[in-house]
Amino acid sequence: MELDNSQDGKRSISNIKIDRSQLTRNQYTMSLLYEGQRVGLITGQKVYQIQIEIMQILQQLIRKHTQGESTSVTSDKAQGIMVSLMYAMDAYTLHFNEPEEAISHLNTDSVKKIHEKGLELLSQYFEQSKQLYREVVEMQLDVPVDAYNMTIDESLPVFMNHYDIVFEAQNTMASIDYPLAIDDMRLQGVFYMKQYLERLLMETKFCHLFSHSDLMYVLKNFGKKHRFNYQIELFNIFELIINNAVFSLLAGGKANEVRISDFQYEQLNRMFTTCDADQRIRLIHEAFSRLQEELQTDQALNHYIDLYRDELIQRVNNATEIGNFEMLIIREEEEREKPMVLMLNENDRMSDMKMRELVDQIMESDNLEEKVRIIRDHFVSLHDYLDLLNSGSLFGDEYDALFATFGDIELAIFAKIVFYEELRGDDREFLDIVADGTEASEEWEEKYMEFMQQLDEARMKEVGRLIYDIDYEEISFY
Amino acid sequence: MDLSRFLNSVQLSPQSKTMTELLDLNKKIKEHGLVLTPNDVKTLITSRNKVLHDYARVELSTEVLKELIEVFAASPYMNQEHYVETLNDLQEIFYHLRNETEDKIGDVKLIHQMMEDFNGPCAGSVELLRSRMEQLAENFRRDLLSNESSFEGDDKTWN
Repeated sequence: MELDNSQDGKRSISNIKIDRSQLTRNQYTMSLLYEGQRVGLITGQKVYQIQIEIMQILQQLIRKHTQGESTSVTSDKAQGIMVSLMYAMDAYTLHFNEPEEAISHLNTDSVKKIHEKGLELLSQYFEQSKQLYREVVEMQLDVPVDAYNMTIDESLPVFMNHYDIVFEAQNTMASIDYPLAIDDMRLQGVFYMKQYLERLLMETKFCHLFSHSDLMYVLKNFGKKHRFNYQIELFNIFELIINNAVFSLLAGGKANEVRISDFQYEQLNRMFTTCDADQRIRLIHEAFSRLQEELQTDQALNHYIDLYRDELIQRVNNATEIGNFEMLIIREEEEREKPMVLMLNENDRMSDMKMRELVDQIMESDNLEEKVRIIRDHFVSLHDYLDLLNSGSLFGDEYDALFATFGDIELAIFAKIVFYEELRGDDREFLDIVADGTEASEEWEEKYMEFMQQLDEARMKEVGRLIYDIDYEEISFY
Repeated sequence: MDLSRFLNSVQLSPQSKTMTELLDLNKKIKEHGLVLTPNDVKTLITSRNKVLHDYARVELSTEVLKELIEVFAASPYMNQEHYVETLNDLQEIFYHLRNETEDKIGDVKLIHQMMEDFNGPCAGSVELLRSRMEQLAENFRRDLLSNESSFEGDDKTWN
């Protein structure tokens, strides 16, 4: 080993090089020690000494953790503290540009010092994450996408409040639902959160380059196309927007446009199916480059978009292969007139007191027809119906009697709720979906299924046709 | 690396610091007519290591064992014949309780609670003590749960 500290305090690093492919992002210090020892940059004796020092620091941390109240902890806790300790050491060794430089520090610095320096770095990254979070909150898109909003409003604050640099630095703490376009799930702790926030901020900033009405246009039509309620689904907004912006450019539109006309759709369809794979790739790359130029995206965002390019190319190739771009290129879905029988707005529901009064009346009555009459005379809101059905106030054939009074559109609305998962992007006919049934979580759902299964085919078809006239957006679930 | 084995390892040779420290306790317990031989101490340490392993715990010192030896020596129900056996049972009850109370009660407080019950309602019965401590753990967890639920929902306030 040829390592020395020269007189001016700068480190002179030997010519021996580490094989980078042997290093791992997680447990970086350990991989450095193994590989450093293998190529002769650090001795076995020094590695052993480092391990002993690590165990000493671990003991100090365990004592600190129990605050002198106890001399023991669970093995899991000890293991967790050990991983946290190594995570902080990794933060320090990772911040050097070259692994050889990191090894020279492992050779000369005490583990105590390396750990402390690592904690300082983690603390800085945590502060940077907090700042990023503030920016995300300021830029938060005004879109009714639950996963996006709940991640920002509820999950990320859990991390901000509970992240523990010393004892659980490797723990990401919060469960993050909203998926990024490009996410490195191998990262942990603050490394993951910092990257997540950086990317979420970039994606959000990108979406701000488009008008709010255009964002909503894409989201609503995406939901309609997939026959699901986009508000409660897990998907990435940035992907939808950038895809359509790229398609817009390819179809002669502008970079900040996302609306694709039927004519443009046909144009894109022809373009992708007639050219070969290489041409397709070249066209998409060109469109991405033009998009970056026209929208004047900054360097960081450009880099992120570049990471995403291959993803879209892959999707276009897949769509070309199956000869269908319907799910990839979002365009206006037809609106139809909808005769509505039930009031779907949550504000139309009756007061709790009124509901209790009616439920009591229904429960007290021992006449089937009277029960149904009370319901039909007083219940107009879908939410009230759901409250009633979930309350367990009806029994046996009372369900059948009630459902028998429902019109087709009412049956269709309840089908939309009971068969949500099956209708969501399922290719099966409605008749088959009903025949196969679903896993009912409530008694009324079971009864509703049984009722539907004995309907005649013509009526079932009509209900099935009406289902596609109902927007999930109009039904705010429970 | 097996952390628990590494951190729990206590030298059992007669010259080891732990052996010496534990044997030194004889000065204190002899006033209660009790004594621990080097073999007794070995048995206690072996039992400690096994219990820690069984309950998946890591301990950095033998302070708990020392405290149990000293505190329970003063019990009117303790006698030389069952001293080591009782101490082994007490170690088992202690670490079980430690896990069951989720490390929320300090060592000393827990040992003194055990001692109070052992000398009081249990009248020196280890089996009764075991069942009372189960009850204590259950009550403790229930209180913990109700306290936790009343603090839920604070995370949204971060800014």
